[in-house]
Amino acid sequence: MVIEIPLVNITARNTHIIPFEFEYYEPRSLEEALELLAKFKGEAKILAGGTDLLVKMKTRIIEPKVIVNIKRIQGLRYIIEENEHIRIGALTTLRDIEKSTIVEKNLPALHDAVKVMGSIQIRNMATLVGNLCNASPAADTAPPLLVYNARVVAMSTRGKRFIPLEEFFKGPGITALEPDEMLVEVIVKKNNKGSSAFEKVSRVVVDLAIASAAVYAEISSDGVIEDSRVAVGSVAPKPIRTRILEERIKGLRLGSEELKKAIYEIDREISPITDVRSTAEYRRHIVKVLVWNAIERVYRRIRGECV
Amino acid sequence: MKVKFILNGKPVELDVDPRETLIDTLRLRLKVKSVKRGCERGECGSCTVLINGNPVVSCILLTIQINGAEITTVEGLVGDILLEKLAKNFIDNGAIQCGFCTPGILLTAYAGIKQGKIKKSEDVKEYVNNLCRCTGYVKIIEAIAKTANEVWGHER
Amino acid sequence: MSVEFMFIGKRTPRKDAEAKVTGMLKYTYDLEVPGMLIGRIVRSPYAFADIRRIDVSEAVKMGAIVVTPSDIPQKPYNPRLVSINEVTFKDTYILTYKPRYLGEPVAAVAASSEELAQKAAECVKIEFEKIYKPILDPLEAIKPESPRIHEKIMKGDKWIEVENNIAARLDYDEGDVNRGFEEADVIVERTFKTGKRYHMQLEPKAVLVVLEPGGKLTIYTTTQTIHNTRILISQLFDIPESRINVIRVPIGGSFGSSIQTNYLVPIAVALALKAKKPVKIAYTREEDILDHSNFVFHFKIKIGAKKNGVFTAAEFINILDVGAHQVQPYPLLGTSLGWFISMYKWKNIRYRGIAVYTNKVPGCALRGYGAPEVQWAVETLVDEIAEELGIDPIDLRLKNYVGKGELFWGQGPTVKSIIKSDGVPELLLKGKEIIRWSERGHPSEKKGRFRRGIGVGRGFHTSGAGGPISGEVIDYTGCILKLNEDGTLDYITALQDHGGGTLDAHVKIIAEELGIPPELVNIATASTETTPYDVCTHASRGTYVGGECARRAAQIVKQKILEAAIRIIGRVVNPEALRIGYDKELKQAVVYVEGTDIKLTLAEIARTSWQRNWGTIGAFVSYRATSAPPSFTVYYVEVEVDTWTGKVKPIRVVAGVDVGTPINPDMVEGQLHGGFVMAWGMAFTENTAYDPLTGEIMGRGLITDYKIPTAADVPTPEEFTVIIAKTYEPTGPFGAKGLGEAAMNPAVAAILNAVYNAIGIRFYELPVTPDKIIEALKEKGELEW
Repeated sequence: MVIEIPLVNITARNTHIIPFEFEYYEPRSLEEALELLAKFKGEAKILAGGTDLLVKMKTRIIEPKVIVNIKRIQGLRYIIEENEHIRIGALTTLRDIEKSTIVEKNLPALHDAVKVMGSIQIRNMATLVGNLCNASPAADTAPPLLVYNARVVAMSTRGKRFIPLEEFFKGPGITALEPDEMLVEVIVKKNNKGSSAFEKVSRVVVDLAIASAAVYAEISSDGVIEDSRVAVGSVAPKPIRTRILEERIKGLRLGSEELKKAIYEIDREISPITDVRSTAEYRRHIVKVLVWNAIERVYRRIRGECV
Repeated sequence: MKVKFILNGKPVELDVDPRETLIDTLRLRLKVKSVKRGCERGECGSCTVLINGNPVVSCILLTIQINGAEITTVEGLVGDILLEKLAKNFIDNGAIQCGFCTPGILLTAYAGIKQGKIKKSEDVKEYVNNLCRCTGYVKIIEAIAKTANEVWGHER
Repeated sequence: MSVEFMFIGKRTPRKDAEAKVTGMLKYTYDLEVPGMLIGRIVRSPYAFADIRRIDVSEAVKMGAIVVTPSDIPQKPYNPRLVSINEVTFKDTYILTYKPRYLGEPVAAVAASSEELAQKAAECVKIEFEKIYKPILDPLEAIKPESPRIHEKIMKGDKWIEVENNIAARLDYDEGDVNRGFEEADVIVERTFKTGKRYHMQLEPKAVLVVLEPGGKLTIYTTTQTIHNTRILISQLFDIPESRINVIRVPIGGSFGSSIQTNYLVPIAVALALKAKKPVKIAYTREEDILDHSNFVFHFKIKIGAKKNGVFTAAEFINILDVGAHQVQPYPLLGTSLGWFISMYKWKNIRYRGIAVYTNKVPGCALRGYGAPEVQWAVETLVDEIAEELGIDPIDLRLKNYVGKGELFWGQGPTVKSIIKSDGVPELLLKGKEIIRWSERGHPSEKKGRFRRGIGVGRGFHTSGAGGPISGEVIDYTGCILKLNEDGTLDYITALQDHGGGTLDAHVKIIAEELGIPPELVNIATASTETTPYDVCTHASRGTYVGGECARRAAQIVKQKILEAAIRIIGRVVNPEALRIGYDKELKQAVVYVEGTDIKLTLAEIARTSWQRNWGTIGAFVSYRATSAPPSFTVYYVEVEVDTWTGKVKPIRVVAGVDVGTPINPDMVEGQLHGGFVMAWGMAFTENTAYDPLTGEIMGRGLITDYKIPTAADVPTPEEFTVIIAKTYEPTGPFGAKGLGEAAMNPAVAAILNAVYNAIGIRFYELPVTPDKIIEALKEKGELEW
């Protein structure tokens, strides 16, 4: 048997510079940006924080022909609490979210997640929307937003549509966005009956997740899970909600053997892989612990503990 | 493309290729060499600069992205009381070894202390994630915490 | 021994601190000269292949300067000159038609900008004759049926055949091992494997080659050895050494990463010679990883002991995975044995060491040159034997360790000396109290999710590679010290400061010897043409060897200062009647006679010598140390294992060190902090894994997936205690010994012995990632999940 050995074009990777050329646009309005996207279709990439995009360009993973920098568009950087909803704009940075009392109070799992995402430098640059559009299975903001049933707002010259976040992720690096669409906002419905938490495990403290889990739960004062939503990262081709698990843990008591057993049901919903960061077996194990830990933390939050 | 920004208090106007990263603009054109090339991908923090007072990495930032912003490097903080305190504590505490990570760490700590985010050593661990391979961070954490203590008073 | 010093032992700021905090210090990476070209290296896209042809026509058409193997002397070389020529194995070519690891340089280009150079590099077309499946496992490589990575290499000036991909070998026998094992009541045998670590020094390697008018070469580069760089370039290009000047440039950390002349140096020289213009090559972080990482160690070690805790025999099989080329694995086979033998009195020893080629990034020294690995293995086994015998691990260590008065193998079989200072008992016993060793408990008693454990690791490193006999290793240094016309001094040495404060230590030693403040001593810029030979700032020899050389120079200068003073004063009987000291009122150094008012400032003496044409007061010293004493280290570490996640957290560290006299306690502590944290990375995260199909470093070789600890991962300052033993090394400058490597060596052992104490599981393969811990807990039936 002859095995074809793939060529690795290591000479092409020069992370000092971006060696290929691209057209650059700096629209001043959303309309202008959307027109550019309509014009260039899949050839254009949106630049916001740039922390993922520039790394990919420097390492030649992608070589976009057109860059549309949306940073000059006014009015896209916000966190607004509006009746039952919280709306987060496309240019809102992870650091903005970390500092936001609205988020800390209403979306504690998201707050947990952004606090451990990259260095302070990266959090000052990277945007929440960018993290979602990158569609990494390890995107830390995804599991919290999945348990909040977040919706994202996609706009194009053709109009506006609301996409449930769960339908937004299609696979590693793939989203439901059409080539001419831009994700302009994330909308989360507040739900103050229960609370939420996010947990992850990584190689060093500041690092991509080996696996992560977010839990929103309503738990009775004597520790019975009345309702829950659970989402996990880095254990499937995309961040996923685990509905079978949610169903199974309903009515179970915190800290119980039954709960532990029920969490094992997650095996039916995940498909982890072995990669440079960890093994499939470990991910399969650790995600259960993370779900357990997150539930515990939710309960303590419901009881008013500062965790 | 034309860009304008304030570098260490002085206005700068340049014509840049959109592909140019801020680290190249600073190091190659403006000869600001305190901004170090460590990893080229935002992992190590050696190329940290302050943009409008907040630390960012300049290796994965296009110069055109910072049009209109105010950029600070350690060169611009000569004579600044807080930076001098920090620098003194780094020196007196033995927190400097090879020195390659030092300017980036000083800037990050500077922003953290100035914004009141660093008041004690646990805050340093959360706020300063720049990589250092020589010191094991211990003396760096001590030097930053000591400075924060001088600025903000003792907090536990 | 207690000696009161003026400067030594005091916490003093480093001379380059100001330049470092202001960002003004220029590293090689920062250098630019007008008209310089930027070089880029064309790298092999395959791990193991034969190249038929390299087509550079398009790159040349673009106006780039291009070099291929055909343009360059095809002489095999070894990038690290440390062994004598007869035992230096040479297998590397500046550029090659037979790449042996993915990313090996096959051609290089230079152009006026990085972008143009990059474009040109991408235009170079490589046509391959044959592509082989990479051989990544040394145990696979030594099989007779495996293809040969190298066929012929040079040993000294002779060509030799390479059999079974074995690059070098070293065997050693002492006593009767079989009988020793027969006498043993307990025998423990284990295999160990380490990760392939990378230095991750913060400054990526760089070089700037300037062609001076008249054709002389000036080379600025990240290096620990300017002299060996010059010698190597001279040999490779047949240029006389006097036509090459290598400048010492501040370096942004090293840890062994520039112990050799890095591959980019001869490549840049070739480009500069062809272009007749200055050429700079600065690596990206990804390229830096391709220009050397560490060796991978596979050990099989067997130890026998009697019931009373006396060792009877040891067998050590050492298989070194050296990667695609040799960067002195032969001396590493020797030092591995040296580290092993000098740990404990084994009595009977059998050692079999082979260095094996694989298609990986060439391995080079990384802080400790095998000592962290050997000491991890030995200290694990000693703990196991202690447990089997029911002896306290500390008592077992105290009973068997090689200490004062005994023969110490500094750096292999040809570098031996007698130990004259030894702080081991002090450090073991003091540390034991501080960490509360007696409360550590047995793993079987520990239950629950979070389990804490305490471990110990004892080890050492040499201070250089000197010795009474000239062996296979070159080790000597030199310096110049001169009194300037105003009474200040210039100190000139080829030694490098990697960040640990080596040259500042020298300044304090000079100041102490002369009795003058360190501020008067300037660390002069240095280059090969202005300094006597120094082998390399490696082997933790900077303070011990370089410092003693500086002290001797100061001693000569002192004598000459006193002689000049006598000439001025006239009526003093001899130089012994004079003292040098710092006059607080005058705020300068003075020569005086006790009990009189005779007083001369150093400035007056210097000025007089100048004005009266007496000549410069100075010294030139070339110095070989006749000993390489061990600096002992003892680590006690407390960790907490989360048995649900497999994550380990450092709780407390007690780092004890015997450096003889500490020159600057701040720097001593800094080395131990840094050493511990590097060990933490070695224990738990650091490794470059290779894709079995392509031979590429996994994760595209990006540091996103090479994790070193961050500030958030390390113990809090309050929980990190450093103890410095009160010892005095009679052969060292003011009693001092080396430190850089000792600071790390036994820390991994202590960390993993602590993990054992917490969960009752030993790990024999590094790094111990959370998945391994969980897997092991599961096997033991202790995983709660």
